[in-house]
Amino acid sequence: MRKLRFLLALLAIFSLFAVSCGDDDSADGNDIEEVSETDEIPAPEPAPVEEPDSGLIFHMITHSDDGPFWSVVKRGAEAAAEAVGVTLVWNPSNNDPGVQASDIAAAVAANSDGIAASLPSPDQLIPPLQEAVAAGIPVYTLNSGVNDYQSIGATSHVGQTEVIAGNGAGRRFNDLGATKVLCGIQEQDNVALGERCAGLAETFNGEVVSNFMDLDANQVAQEGAINAALAADSDIDGFLGVGPVIAVSGLSAAKALGKDVGNSFFVGGFDITPDIIDAIEEGEIAFTVDQQQYLQGYIPVVLMYLEATNQNTLGGGLPILTGPGFVTPENAAAVKALVAAGTR
Amino acid sequence: MTDAVAHPEAGHESTDDERLAYRGVFTRLLVRPEIGAVIGSAAIWVFFWAVSGQFGTAGGLSGVLDVSATLGIMAVAVALLMIGGEFDLSSGAATGALGIVTILLVKDIGELGGAGLNLFIAIPLSFVVAMALGWYNGTVVERTGLPSFIVTLATFFVLRGFKLGFSKLTIDNISVGRIDEGGGFDFWRPIFAGVWTRNDHVWDTRDVVYTIGVLAGLALLVLAVYEGNYLRKKVFNPAGLALFFAGIIGTASGVALMHATDGVADNAISGAVIVVSMIFGFVGVAMWRYEPIAGDNSIHFDPRVLEFAVLGLVLVLIGIFCALVVDVNGQEAILDRIPAVAAWLLTLVAFGVAGAVVWRRSSGGVVGAERWSALLKPLRTGLVAAVAFVTFMFMTTEQGLRAMLFVGLGATGLVFLAMAALRARKASALSGSMMLALNALVVAGLALFIQAESGHEKFRTEIFSVMMFGAVVILAWALVSSRFQQRRAADHYADRLSKILAVAGLVSVLVGLVSRLLWTTTEEIDSGVAFASFRMSILWFIAFTAVATFVLGRTKFGSWIFAVGGNKEAARQVGVPAARTKTQLFMIVSGAAWLVGLLLAFRLQTLQSGTGNGLEFEYIIAAVVGGTALTGGYGSVLGAAIGAFIMAMSKQGIGLALWNSDWRFAFLGVILLGAVMANNFIKAKAEAVR
Repeated sequence: MRKLRFLLALLAIFSLFAVSCGDDDSADGNDIEEVSETDEIPAPEPAPVEEPDSGLIFHMITHSDDGPFWSVVKRGAEAAAEAVGVTLVWNPSNNDPGVQASDIAAAVAANSDGIAASLPSPDQLIPPLQEAVAAGIPVYTLNSGVNDYQSIGATSHVGQTEVIAGNGAGRRFNDLGATKVLCGIQEQDNVALGERCAGLAETFNGEVVSNFMDLDANQVAQEGAINAALAADSDIDGFLGVGPVIAVSGLSAAKALGKDVGNSFFVGGFDITPDIIDAIEEGEIAFTVDQQQYLQGYIPVVLMYLEATNQNTLGGGLPILTGPGFVTPENAAAVKALVAAGTR
Repeated sequence: MTDAVAHPEAGHESTDDERLAYRGVFTRLLVRPEIGAVIGSAAIWVFFWAVSGQFGTAGGLSGVLDVSATLGIMAVAVALLMIGGEFDLSSGAATGALGIVTILLVKDIGELGGAGLNLFIAIPLSFVVAMALGWYNGTVVERTGLPSFIVTLATFFVLRGFKLGFSKLTIDNISVGRIDEGGGFDFWRPIFAGVWTRNDHVWDTRDVVYTIGVLAGLALLVLAVYEGNYLRKKVFNPAGLALFFAGIIGTASGVALMHATDGVADNAISGAVIVVSMIFGFVGVAMWRYEPIAGDNSIHFDPRVLEFAVLGLVLVLIGIFCALVVDVNGQEAILDRIPAVAAWLLTLVAFGVAGAVVWRRSSGGVVGAERWSALLKPLRTGLVAAVAFVTFMFMTTEQGLRAMLFVGLGATGLVFLAMAALRARKASALSGSMMLALNALVVAGLALFIQAESGHEKFRTEIFSVMMFGAVVILAWALVSSRFQQRRAADHYADRLSKILAVAGLVSVLVGLVSRLLWTTTEEIDSGVAFASFRMSILWFIAFTAVATFVLGRTKFGSWIFAVGGNKEAARQVGVPAARTKTQLFMIVSGAAWLVGLLLAFRLQTLQSGTGNGLEFEYIIAAVVGGTALTGGYGSVLGAAIGAFIMAMSKQGIGLALWNSDWRFAFLGVILLGAVMANNFIKAKAEAVR
């Protein structure tokens, strides 16, 4: 018994010693120290294993499911990180705001040099981001969060304002001659997706019905839900899926119901995947709203770098819009080549 | 499993040993674990049929079947595993993983050189992967002795990581496509993703097959119930046999007349011919085969019977009244239509009435403070009910309310009438039959009302004929049960015949329904019938369920599954290879995941790395809704399939009824809870009967 206690004491002393050594290591000649001294918070974090040029560590904390959309964002962010020479920590949360909130808190605790976060569920994510701002960390929002970035105190928002993107889709449906459009949502509590439908309703001349379908992970049920909604109301002659997978599900459901897709029934989508581009090339999907998400990964990293190293800010407090761009049968082939390269 | 354990001599009245006691047809049906799910699914079908005009059509049903197929295959496999006492939380992720494995095997993989295999090699290869996955799960659970919940949760995360990491490593993309690049795609596509488009299959004599199939099938089912319930006669009665044949001929000529003519009056005449002939036929069978009642059989109703009957009639009438008053086309939420003041008043009145009832009922011998505290519980219940009611009103459309009031009140009324009949039956068979006849009349009346009021043609005519047929059966039952003796002992010959008749009846009904479902007529095409397409996955679902039902109920392996799920140690001690059985169950689940993965891959051609993640709980829920116990050792494969059907019906029905989709999960939750509660209730009843 006594032996054990002695061993524990020894272990405690040894670990204390080890921790203090770690602090010493990170202190000598490291850029992190300069920034964090202004925060009046000592840096408990050990040095990163690989030292890039600037030594800065940026956190990109999103609701990414690492799906086709987010992988392009990640690729953009990684390209920018490499270009400016910083370490990028990519924290996906697979649509779990709880995970995202704790990741943000962890980044603050780790004394990050810059946090870029998406805000699918503002209520849960605003408090930890405000703490980050209070800790003097440059904060940017990306993808979703255009309504809240100012209240957080974030420098700017990089993304597409969802309402404006929806407006664009509404004008497209007007040009196509649709009269009643079903707006299908694949994540029930994602505010941004609802705003896309709201934006559609603003500019579209006909009637808009917005409905939650099923998750992308359950494509059979998703198609079934769209099928049911279309079968229940035969006046509907347009479908807008506010994501790329749900748009393809909508196309498939419309075909199963015998709709004349492309002529008397129109499908629109959001974002780009190989499948949706193929469908656009074949004329089955009329358009997809492209928010150029590569930029949403790339630009925040560059902005954080400029703010951290040169105290530059961009945008004048206004959001920096990356969309909406449209992919239509006319430019589908050109975009397809870029998609194959993984940057669109 | 539930078959009668012994077959004493026919007519042998009573046995002392309760294990040998004879259980009637209904009792034997009631102790099946899936009976709750069957009744629940019927109730949900009626509910959504009433609420949505599209639900009961071939198009609506094709959607429900489509959604239930992939869910159902997994639910069946998961139910087997759960009966064996284990869980597999990796089953959802495994569906996507195995589909992705297959696609990656056939795809040319960029820099790595690529597998680029033919599908004839890739499909068996991915099956090997699936078996290895199941074997891994089973072996780790057995070797470590850890709960399968933890082990398979780990597998779930590993699979999730593998799906993402491996597909990005090999093809640098998250959506893995496309399987149609593989050699042999044209061969495999019809097998896994063939589509039967109803509108391309015109068959003008379909309705003849449908009518004859359904009518004959239902009649056979009635005969099966007779055979299983009534005491066989020892002396031959030629008059009965003659009447039976007259009934058959009359019914057949009635059906022929209905199809030959087209006018409304002709239809009414032929309908009447069919009804009368069928009643003659049923009574003829009874006279031919069963022993009449001896002794006192006079009419006697006690006051409670009359109370029930009047209550039932009043409820049905109120239901009809509601259907007449509430707008059939109202799509607005009800609370939007009612002024706020009225809503509050309504709530207050409801509280007042409930309070008064509670006060009266609680007054039995209790005074003062005790009485108040006795009131607390019912008040709490009332409060919850009121909140639920208001919330429900908030979510439901006017048209939905109309359907619910009509169906709910009508069904409750019929239940009261049936209770009146059951109670009256205790006095004498004849008085019970009088009440049954009243039931028959009410059902016929409701059918006529629906026919007259129907906003949608389509399936409503079928509902009319089904209800009319129901009325005929009840009436025939009333006539027969008033005069013939019921059996109190097993009769080997009659029980066997009853079983054969029941199976023949079911097959006949199915042939009729399936022909109606899969084919269309020129007439329907001209009137613009909605599209309906049926996928191969439905056939796989049916086949998989059938095989699993056979394995669980009829093979040694099936008995082992129950044994290891009930008590593993005990099973091992009587010689069941427990560890091997469990590992094989895990392999069945991963095999099912492989099948579903292929169904998805061939259907969608591109799979997302997230495909299937999180669906494992839906599988478990479907199994539980279908009567499978979470504790192992009890459950049913057929029930799990029906559980999947219930979940698909709820999902599709909510969409087809145009309800606010924001509330979708709330509806789903209520429906699932209701289904499980009904299941437990029926199971408890069944245990009591046993």
